[in-house]
Order: sequence, then structure tokens, then C-alpha cells
Amino acid sequence: MNWHEWLTTGALAVCLGSLLYHLFRLVRLGKPHDYASPAGSETEGIRYSFTSGMSPAKKESAYLHLPTYSAGLIYHTGTFISLALLILSLLHAFPDGTLALISAVFVSLTSAAGLFILIKRVAVRKLRILSNPDDYLSNLLVTLFQIFTVIRLAGGESFAPVYHIISALLLLYMPLGKLKHLVYFFAARYQLGIFYGRRGVWTKH
Amino acid sequence: MDKALINKALAVFENPEDSKLIAHLNSCVHCGLCAESCMFYLATGDDRLIPAQKVELVSSIYRRYKTLTGRVAPVLVHARELDDETVAEMTDLLFGACSMCGRCTMHCSIGVDIAYLVRTGRAMLANMGMVPESLQSTVNAAIQTGNNMGIPTDELVDTLKWLEDDLRDELGDPTAEIPLDAPGKSVLYTLNPREPKFFPLSISAMAKIFHLAGESWTLSTRMYDVTNYAYFSGNLEESRTIARRLEEEMAHLESGKCILAECGHGSRAFRWEAPNYLGHSFGFEVLTSVELIDSYIKEGRINPDASKNQKKVTLHDPCNLVRNGGIIQQQRDILKAACADFVEMNPHGTDNLCCGGGGGQLAMSEFNERRMKVGKLKADQIRATGAEVVVTPCHNCVDQLSQICIANKLNVQIKTIAEIVADSL
Repeated sequence: MNWHEWLTTGALAVCLGSLLYHLFRLVRLGKPHDYASPAGSETEGIRYSFTSGMSPAKKESAYLHLPTYSAGLIYHTGTFISLALLILSLLHAFPDGTLALISAVFVSLTSAAGLFILIKRVAVRKLRILSNPDDYLSNLLVTLFQIFTVIRLAGGESFAPVYHIISALLLLYMPLGKLKHLVYFFAARYQLGIFYGRRGVWTKH
Repeated sequence: MDKALINKALAVFENPEDSKLIAHLNSCVHCGLCAESCMFYLATGDDRLIPAQKVELVSSIYRRYKTLTGRVAPVLVHARELDDETVAEMTDLLFGACSMCGRCTMHCSIGVDIAYLVRTGRAMLANMGMVPESLQSTVNAAIQTGNNMGIPTDELVDTLKWLEDDLRDELGDPTAEIPLDAPGKSVLYTLNPREPKFFPLSISAMAKIFHLAGESWTLSTRMYDVTNYAYFSGNLEESRTIARRLEEEMAHLESGKCILAECGHGSRAFRWEAPNYLGHSFGFEVLTSVELIDSYIKEGRINPDASKNQKKVTLHDPCNLVRNGGIIQQQRDILKAACADFVEMNPHGTDNLCCGGGGGQLAMSEFNERRMKVGKLKADQIRATGAEVVVTPCHNCVDQLSQICIANKLNVQIKTIAEIVADSL
């Protein structure tokens, strides 16, 4: 491995270690002990929370804001694909040829979605007053990560150093700001599933 | 601000019993998509009232004092000091611009329990002794007199006695009664103190239903108040005190079932929250009167005649009973059985719009103007149905709906489930 691969590998280790700390803390604290007798099933509530409860048909935040919701979905898909490609890069198994081309086209679209969300945050007043520097920085870093994934896919090995540096920056920042919702998103939906499931709200639909 | 006072507020973040608080405090991504799910934002257009802003108030304090990034680089993550300005903003947004209806929670793109975080913020203010005086006085009345309206026992008994006389006349049955403090009955029925004070006919309606269903029931004069406004003020100790009294009265009268009167937050507070305040499960069954009436109809113990309710009827779903309590279908089944012409509002059920009076709003007169603005959305919703009668199983909602219907020149009657069912018997 060369220096920039070492750098990214180290950042990845720090990122995973920190996120695992958050995860273990949640696991250690456990789920709420509820003494009220249940009216529904927590398991059903959790299942609903991660399936139908997230569908655009059920959430106002989705069906009233379809362009933003779709952009968010595409953007997140691009992030996970880019993270997978980064792992492949560190394993010296980065795709080339047709697969690289398809990946580059797709991640180009997802980074455009990221830019759209960033521009919206700057342009819309109610989002601007809600936002803090972390919101902009997180969005910017993830979008840059995707853009440099595309550059690395299209431009070849010569772009590896800058690609790995951007990736390392993102990985090091991830546990510090709102990007740690990578862990907390699942915890929140799990908790919500317990709440509505036990009370029989999400098990009767 | 005094450090000791700050520490009292921060105590809500100390030693969490489970992962719920930590999970929700760290989850909001500031997407702002919750805005249109909030009646306060929709009614005012005020960007400060977006649910995410309320979450941000609480979580920014958490970040400032409890996270590494917030301590080292507060500007980066907007970690806020708990100072006089923050407290003033918390009071305005968390008490004065949220009914904790949970509509935003259900529609949050992430799944942040926004209402729960608002209550956490209220608990911080409660720990600092900064609950709005108007709300606190309601809690104080409940703690000091046993009911939130401070009704003296002899006044209650007088009211119930003339209601009993009227009931006997109406039914032509001298055995019809409103039993008081009778031990060993199957059911202990609770009241919202608004009933004996302002809406006594809802008590006689329920008494009529009990009588015709052949129920073994009683009221208590010692502890009958179903409400628990300390749930809204965020004071855990006071919530516990109020809940414990009802539990003790169940043991005192040796009743098997506690039937909660038509009160959304009271039902939620006792059915779902109180066992957790007290740290144990109840040794008796707790049901809402809506569930009980529904069961009477389905078991054939009462037989409503829908032709006796010919007017067009619509239903307002109380947030705490429906979205936060899972009582969704029962009231609909009741109205279909008891009314000739029942229409739904749009949206309804778990997506219903809050009336604007929940979360202690009705008790906090300093926020009346905002509350009435929010109520206009509900008034428009009612108008669109063309209904002449609005039924709601919550006395708090009855009060708010009555006010907004007058303010918005809506000529409709507001009734409880028990009243509309009693009319059909």
C-alpha cells in the first residue's frame, strides 16, 4: 500500500471505531422498559417502521416533497455505492472497463442530487435558518466524495491520491457531526417502531 | 445563568435509562421536511415554529454540554449555551408553539420522536422551575385539591345528585343511579373535572350507558380526576403524584377496571405513561370509555338506534387517544352504529390535524392568540365536511372546538362519544 491508501485505511479504522462506539453505547443502554401493558406488537411496529412506514405513500415528508425525497434517496444510494467502491479501492479491486463506466454515470447522477440538496439548503430561507456549519460541511464532504469517486472511476489511477485524501477527510469527519446519523437513523426508527407498535398504532394498518 | 440552575436542566440528560433519548437527540438531519406536518407552522408561516427547530433547541443544548464536538467546536455544530435567551426561546417554542400532538413525529423522514424531545425540553424547564405560571397553577390545583379545577367535594356531590335525579326521570327508572365511593364494583369510572364544572350532561350520558349495559360501576369523590397536566409541564415527580393517587383509589375501592373518561391526554398519561412513572405495571385493567362503549355495542349490551341521530356527524380524533394511544377504529365503529350520517374529516385517524388545544395550550392563556390561529385549520376541516355535529372523545378538544367554532362562525354542535351514544339509546 502507498501512503494515501494507508491514510484512508487509518481514517476508515478511526471512523468505524467511533461509529461502533456510538452503536455499542446504544446497545448497552438497550430499549426502554415499558410497564404499560401492550396493545399491539413491538416487533410488528419495528417491521412497519423500516418498511411501509418509510414509503412515500405514508410519509408527508415524502409525498409532499417528492423531488427532495427522491434526491435524498438517490444521494444516499450514491453514498453507499461510493463507500463500497472505496473499500474495493483499498483492496486493489477497483472496477474498470464497463463496470467503471456504469458506476461513474450513476454516481454522477447521485452527486448531482447531493448538489441539489446543498443548493436548496442555501437557497431556501426556512432551511437556511435551520442549518448550522455542520449541515453544509457534511453535505459538501459527501458530495465531494461522490464527485471524486466519479473522477477516480473515469480518470484512472492518477487520481487515486486526491480521491483517497477526500475520502479520508470524510471518514474522519463522519463521527463528529450529523453524518453519524448513519448509526442513529436506524436507532431512531427502531425506537419509533417500538413506541407505535406497542401502542397498537402501527400494527393496525 | 446560575450554574446550579443549568445543572438542574441538564439532569434530564444524565444517566439515561435506555437508548431512546440518545437515539432521538442525535438523529435530526435538519431536512426541514417536517414543516408542513405542523399545525403551528401551517397556521402562522413562522419559520421558527418548524418542528425541527424545536428539536434543535433541545439537541443543541445536549451537544454543547454532552458531546465532544459541542464542547470543542460549538460553532461548527451550533451547540447552544443554556442562558436566559435560550430559556425564553424554549418557553415560547416548546410550551407556546407545540401541542405535542406527534403528527410531525409520525411523518419525520428520519423517525425522530419530536414530541418526546419537546417534552424533554419541557422537563428541563420544569427542573428549573420555569413552567409557565398558568399551566403550573393547573397542576398545583390538582396536587393541592385532588382535581385540576379545584372543585370542592360537596359541590361535586351536589352536581352528581341532581344528575342522578334527572337520569331517573329520563329513564323512568327509580333504580338508575350514579354510585359514589361504592367498594367492590367492577368499574371505577373517572371524570375530567370539566364535566362536573361545565359539561355535566356528559356524566349523565355515561351513567345512562352504564345503567342500560347493566354495569357494576362507581365514581370516587376522593380521586376522580382523569387529567394529569404534569405530563404536559414535564414535571415527573408531580406526574407520579397524580398517577399514584388514582392507582391508590383503585386499590381503596377494590375495583377491577379503571375506565378513563373521554380525555385524550388523561388517557395517555394514565394508560401509557403512569406505569412508567411509578415503575410497575398496574394490577388492574385500564380502558378508555371509548373502548368500553365499543365493547358494549359489540357484545349487544346496549343497542344504539342510529335513526335517533339524523344530523350529519363528523369525528375529530384526539391526538393522544389516536396517534399516541392506538384507539383508532373503535370510535368509528361506535359512530357508524349510533349515527345515520357519519362522514370523515380529511385527513383523519393517525393523520388527523390537532385541534390546537392539546399539550396544555388551553391552560396557557398567554399563548391564546396562536392557539386560535392553529384552530382555524381545524375549523376549515370541519366546514369542509358539511357536518352539523362534531363528535370527539376528549373534553379538552371539546373546549377548543367550541371556541374555534364560535371564532370561525361555524354553526355546529360539539359532543362526546358518550353523549351521542346516549342520544341513540
